[in-house]
Amino acid sequence: MNLSGILVVVPPAQVEDATLALNALPGVEVHHAEPATGRIVVVQEAETVDEEVAALSRIKALPGVMLAEMVYHVFDEILPEWDAIPAEMAAS
Amino acid sequence: MELSRRNFLKSGVAAATAMAVGIPISRVASAAAAETEQDWRWDKGVCRFCGVGCGIMIATQDGKIVATKGDPDAPVNRGLNCVKGYFNGKILYGKDRLTQPLMRMTDGRFDKKGKFTPVTWDQAFDEMAIQFKKAYEEKGPTGIGVIGSGQWLIQEGYAMTKLMKAGFRSNNIDPNARNCMASAVAAFMQVFGIDEPPGNYDDIEYTDTVVAWGANMAEAHPVLWQRVIDRRLGHSDMKIVNITTLRNMTSEGSDLEIIIKPNTDMALLNYLAREIIQRDAVNQAFVDAHCVFCAGPTDIGYGMRATDKFAFEAEKDIQAREVEVTLTRDEAIGIGLDPEQVHTIKQANAATADRHWLVGFEDFKAGVAPYTLDFVAELAKGDSEESLDAFKAKLVRLADLYADPKRKLVSFWTMGFNQHVRGTWVNEQIYSVHLLLGKIAEPGNSPFSLTGQPSACGTAREVGTFSHRLPADMVVNIAKHRDITEQTWKLPPKTLNPKPGSHITKIMRDLEDGSMSWVWVQVNNPFQHVANANHWLKAARENDNFIVVSDAYPSISAKVADLILPVAMIFEKWGGYGNAERRTQLWREQVPPPGEARSDLWQILEFSKRITLAEVWKEQPIPGLKDEGFEEGKLPDVMAAAQEMGYTPEMTLYEALFETPENKAFAWPDPVAKGHDNHTVKHLGVDWFVEKALFEEYAAFGRGHHHDLAPFDVYYQDDVRGLRWPVIDGKETPWRFNAKYDPYVKNGEIEFYGGAMKELVTGNLNGPTTEEKTKFPGKAKIFFRPYAAPVESPDGNYDLWLCTGRLLEHWHTGTMTRRVPELHRAMPAAVLDMNEKDAEARGLKRQDTVWIESRRGKIKAVIETTGRNRPPRGYSFMAFFDESVFVNKLCIDATCPISKEEDFKKTAIKIYKV
Repeated sequence: MNLSGILVVVPPAQVEDATLALNALPGVEVHHAEPATGRIVVVQEAETVDEEVAALSRIKALPGVMLAEMVYHVFDEILPEWDAIPAEMAAS
Repeated sequence: MELSRRNFLKSGVAAATAMAVGIPISRVASAAAAETEQDWRWDKGVCRFCGVGCGIMIATQDGKIVATKGDPDAPVNRGLNCVKGYFNGKILYGKDRLTQPLMRMTDGRFDKKGKFTPVTWDQAFDEMAIQFKKAYEEKGPTGIGVIGSGQWLIQEGYAMTKLMKAGFRSNNIDPNARNCMASAVAAFMQVFGIDEPPGNYDDIEYTDTVVAWGANMAEAHPVLWQRVIDRRLGHSDMKIVNITTLRNMTSEGSDLEIIIKPNTDMALLNYLAREIIQRDAVNQAFVDAHCVFCAGPTDIGYGMRATDKFAFEAEKDIQAREVEVTLTRDEAIGIGLDPEQVHTIKQANAATADRHWLVGFEDFKAGVAPYTLDFVAELAKGDSEESLDAFKAKLVRLADLYADPKRKLVSFWTMGFNQHVRGTWVNEQIYSVHLLLGKIAEPGNSPFSLTGQPSACGTAREVGTFSHRLPADMVVNIAKHRDITEQTWKLPPKTLNPKPGSHITKIMRDLEDGSMSWVWVQVNNPFQHVANANHWLKAARENDNFIVVSDAYPSISAKVADLILPVAMIFEKWGGYGNAERRTQLWREQVPPPGEARSDLWQILEFSKRITLAEVWKEQPIPGLKDEGFEEGKLPDVMAAAQEMGYTPEMTLYEALFETPENKAFAWPDPVAKGHDNHTVKHLGVDWFVEKALFEEYAAFGRGHHHDLAPFDVYYQDDVRGLRWPVIDGKETPWRFNAKYDPYVKNGEIEFYGGAMKELVTGNLNGPTTEEKTKFPGKAKIFFRPYAAPVESPDGNYDLWLCTGRLLEHWHTGTMTRRVPELHRAMPAAVLDMNEKDAEARGLKRQDTVWIESRRGKIKAVIETTGRNRPPRGYSFMAFFDESVFVNKLCIDATCPISKEEDFKKTAIKIYKV
């Protein structure tokens, strides 16, 4: 499971609309908004890296979004799997 | 996971994010952040990926990375990260991480045709040494090679350079940075006499204009792009221009998008120079005081082999142009010849492409005179659906921006300029434009070469891991530079080899033609990233070559190797990088490497224990060596002189080069570690601080010579986030060559004090006319360089352009970013971006699988007509991260003849349905 803190920037006038739109996305929660500058902090929860990157793309595609970049990441419950010889190497 | 814990963690993540980017939050929220992080150890680090050099903070717990965040105190990124930053914590934990040495074996012995089998480190190094000695005894120092990296840590690159040049007496060491920014380097040296940019990223906040030339910043350098966009939000007069061969993400944020044909950037720059002169916008006082004018030969070839002995049948027509070429109509006009006549040119200066001489301003003016708006617009317009008048209006607008004396302007460029058969020229041309205007070396006015790799500057360039270089901008073929290096390294005179070695493409060619048969690859994936890959894959597997690859993951290069050495990755070792704005950043080891994986530095030092001085410091053959003071074709035996210095023949290279009394004085443990471990020292079984000793030894080259680094410990202070060299009296230098900021300026307000190539003969555009040399210390050169056509262009058979490049989610060959399996599924294969009408004309539509074929090979891929890159008609684009699509099998291995950097941007292809 991955948790990311993402900074989203929109024009100040659109902070409210953007907050609604962000909260409607799966796994996304708006935690802080700064109406004066249009900066919004959201937390993205995703099971996989794939979902996480796709979610960032969805945020970037929302109307009015000028910037959406990941700032903070927590890697919860990492299970390292480095002890096996990879099958493709062993087989070659 | 329990719901309450997750909610709590989320509040902590939100609060930490807000704090990182400076959004005020409540006390309750900041307490949540603090509690989330309470058991973690935080330390500063640098992003593993591109050359921007963002600061990141890394949290570890129980020997694992548990969190990362943008570093709010880092001046480069100010708390922000792009999506690549996210991978810093992830790349260590891919499922197929290599954790023990693997060698091809049959029945317990090395066998080139055998299967990869786990072996001990001793077995690995023993076989590596046997194979090394076989190649070295048979072929001498030129029979072995190292392919290194702009991702090497400073200490790794330095140790390998010393081992190769001082130990093995071989200059066949070259980094993948050759294919990233060698053109930028060559131009820096030729124009300023010293490498690396005058300005820095802060120019963004001082400027009124950003022009991106062949740099898709929004995708490749998003954090800097964000600073550009921020500047526009706060500065109403700010203008952004994107000069590109296709519509891309950077176009979205730009005020002006100029789509040009491949290679016509050169014509466009000459148009700008001509306009500046025509409009009387030359900053005459600046040019008179600080510049000279130069020209060079134009018959310089394309960096290919001059023989087609090894060429595929289909390649031979293009290969022939290395010997002789017929100028295109536009090329003839561009050098003032009659376009109605046929001009066939022998490539007489292919081996002396960097030769140049002084000319007068009137010569320069005459050189750019043909580059009128009409000529350049017709030649350069890249989108056939745009009207000529609309395109001309854009060029005029661009000239308005450059020529306005009140407007500050930053030009950024990356691979569009550097990966270019005239990469050095086009880099020089952008400086010519800035120098004519005097828009350089002051806040907001800056021609700035962006880099693609995290230590292309810090390691490849500053340490000098190129086949012709020594530390601190010195080169092997200047006797004085060898003397300084031999003294610093305590080597007998004439240990160093004066003949430049093989650049990266030539190393591949050497493996193919048998002149080299042992290669060690570190921190890069050359069998995927070097163009015309079919040749090199075959050379690796079919010829009697021994390929060692140090890697963290089974990259293509690892798969074609004979021996794979598992490496420690970025935060599993102590190290340092230098970014594109001369900022040196060092970090501590954060977590232990997995299994048997060890740092590249440990591997270099361990291998050096297996070679003795007697084996390397005897007389050595160097084919083609003709330097003064040397017997032709030979390096002398220096063992007798070495013995007088206290060396013995039985001494290992480890003892002679690395475990010196000076280095052993740096004790480990060291208080700067603050409890962090050092696996390199531990596994070497020594009590000296290897990374610190090598850093200080290396830094001695630059101190007092324009490249001053701070003491090692300073970079680890809590309040330091890297320092831009030269660091003098504890102060960094934000703008070089400007007396206000740079203590090295001794004469006047501006001084281009770089010392290389500041004495030349004089002539006109056709060649030198005198033999007398003139010195011009402190000045920069304004070069005239004419338009040159690409070596290969679409024709009736191969009827489409192919350009390659990178994407935001993946980075370079994807060895690291592709490791995360879910991500790989998300973008499973690189697609071919092409124009919808071009697809229709071939009976194709989006998502069709097609064969893509060039003269060099063919690959299968899916086409995309609505992606985020929108090529004009006649043009296509593909990313190079994907080994399953492997676009470099198609690309031509032509290079800039001066910089030897490959042109990955211009290959002619055809496509048809599978």
